[in-house]
Amino acid sequence: MNSEATNANSLSGPHFLQVGDVRLELLVKGEGRPLLLLHGMDGIEAMAPLVDLLAATHKVYAPSHPGFGGSDLPRSFSTVDDIAYFYLDLLDQLDLRDVLVAGFSFGGWIAAEMLVKNSGRLALAVLGAPFGIETAHRKDRRVVDIFMCDGGTVERKSQVTPAQKLDLAALPEDVLERRVRNAEATMLYGWSPYMCNPKLRHRLHRVATPTLLLWGEDDAIAPLDYGRDYAALIPQAVFEAIPNCGHRIYVDSAEAAARSINTFAQRAVAAAA
Amino acid sequence: MKVWQFSEQAYHPAFDVPGPMRVTLPQHHCHPSEAGRLINRYLDEYVLADELGYNIMINEHHAAATCMSTSCMTTLAILARQTKRARLLALGIPIGNRANPVRVAEEIAMADVISNGRLEVGLVKGAAYEVFMSNRQPVRFMDRYWEAHDLILEALSNTGDNFSWDGEFFNYRAVSLWPRPIQQPTPPIWMTASSAGSAAQQAKLGYVCATFLSGAVARSVFASYRKTYQETHGRPASDDRLGYLGLVSVATDRETAFQRAEQMKAYFTTAARLDPQFRNPAGFASVKDNVRLLKAGPNAVRPRLRDGSPLPSNPTIEQYIDAGLMFVGTPDEVFEQIGRFHAEVGGFGNLLMMGQAGTLGHAETVENLTLFSREVMPRLAEMSVDTPDVRYEAFA
Repeated sequence: MNSEATNANSLSGPHFLQVGDVRLELLVKGEGRPLLLLHGMDGIEAMAPLVDLLAATHKVYAPSHPGFGGSDLPRSFSTVDDIAYFYLDLLDQLDLRDVLVAGFSFGGWIAAEMLVKNSGRLALAVLGAPFGIETAHRKDRRVVDIFMCDGGTVERKSQVTPAQKLDLAALPEDVLERRVRNAEATMLYGWSPYMCNPKLRHRLHRVATPTLLLWGEDDAIAPLDYGRDYAALIPQAVFEAIPNCGHRIYVDSAEAAARSINTFAQRAVAAAA
Repeated sequence: MKVWQFSEQAYHPAFDVPGPMRVTLPQHHCHPSEAGRLINRYLDEYVLADELGYNIMINEHHAAATCMSTSCMTTLAILARQTKRARLLALGIPIGNRANPVRVAEEIAMADVISNGRLEVGLVKGAAYEVFMSNRQPVRFMDRYWEAHDLILEALSNTGDNFSWDGEFFNYRAVSLWPRPIQQPTPPIWMTASSAGSAAQQAKLGYVCATFLSGAVARSVFASYRKTYQETHGRPASDDRLGYLGLVSVATDRETAFQRAEQMKAYFTTAARLDPQFRNPAGFASVKDNVRLLKAGPNAVRPRLRDGSPLPSNPTIEQYIDAGLMFVGTPDEVFEQIGRFHAEVGGFGNLLMMGQAGTLGHAETVENLTLFSREVMPRLAEMSVDTPDVRYEAFA
């Protein structure tokens, strides 16, 4: 996880909101149509550049998932289903309508689980290299098992941008605690079956929300053909490959991703008019 | 003091294969007939240990050339019939990794009746890397462990009607042990600790607390146990509640003992051969402990020499002795080393003795066990600490 201490600091103004059992860490930034931004395994820290870009055109709601960052992890939470229902509750509580939900990697899986459950408050969806459908079949593995890789390998495979070498012992304790919580929550939700819900494949036909899938052409964690298979399961999904981009689209290609999201949103508005 | 013979039962021919010895080592490096020959050899040594007056300890690991016992209870089921006097200790059964706690209870009960009530049962957290083989969730591992513990004890001690169990982690319609164990309410329960916090928890329950190869840390583990035991039960913990595991090499001359210790040292060097991502999977330790580990850096968990410095990465036998991980020399020297360590850590009533380790061969192991049983064990039987308080003052 490549979260840098400086990134955590540049996310000015996260505040806390009580939603059910969870004291939720929630960053709200920008003005415009509501956009629920769901981070990946490395937490909200790693999303800072994309938050800023999207906040130019949207009111971005960027929570830390329960267990990640500064958000509570209730004992009853153990699956991505739990997070998906929780975020549907959050949308109800905030009474947000016509929401664009954008999720990346692990957060893309959460977004997909929301879409098959209740899309009443969702207008558009962007899934950036999401996990969620089967990552392996018997002896054939499609998505790299990060838990079997050492930290350096995970970093190298996750992004084409050279990863920063971190001296962990030199980081402040609160930054370390966030990293440790992010890793633990990733383990809780993603350990087994690895980063997927075998039921999801059979539910994706329910997605009625216009959906864009973004995928890094050089994704060395979840390869492009996994993404194409994913897209094929979602009715009328648009698939867009981003050149020179790895699994962490928000690190390698934040500007391209923001452009694609805005273009997709504008076309959808035009189509509806 | 009771002495327990222990061997990890390594497949040592694989030690020459470059790279990790656990999790990722391919099984084609194991020649099954050689494995069978070695396991039978280790079992012979356990049978000899029984004849020499030792008690017996068995452990288990998975996907490791360093330990071929993949099930405590399978190994103990053999020794339950082939030994006569020894107490038989499983230390232990990694119940947080077991999918089926009732099956664990069934196997305990079966070995207990076959051995006519000689079984002792360690219920352990186990090594972190084992979750990669068990595939059990590392997060909330100890919550699952304690539910399994409660269920296993309930099953072993039940004298009423069969019961059903619907917990957070386990569900059963009908729990019924046929046979049930001879020792009631349960065989003696052991746990392992490497921190004062774990030891205190075990003291509350009155279980035997063992610490492995922890050197000076044993002192804080035992002190915590004694303090909490006194507070909880209103009487001092007897020495038999505490155990320490170390390697022993004894010979009639010092030089031979040191040569054998060099072969046993392969236990340490091979056990350390494990890729970093398997050492501490996220969630297996608490957030607080993981932050502390990251801040402290890699030296924090190394055993210490007597001067407080961390044990170096390739220690000499003298340094292992100094750190309290090995006891090596003539019978007099080994007795003196154990006595000094025993006094420094405040006393313990169980020496879990690795009398075979690493590449040490059969003839040398037989000599080691025989000489120790004749020359050292009788003198250890008398070793005790008068009162714990006096001992603490001496080292305060």
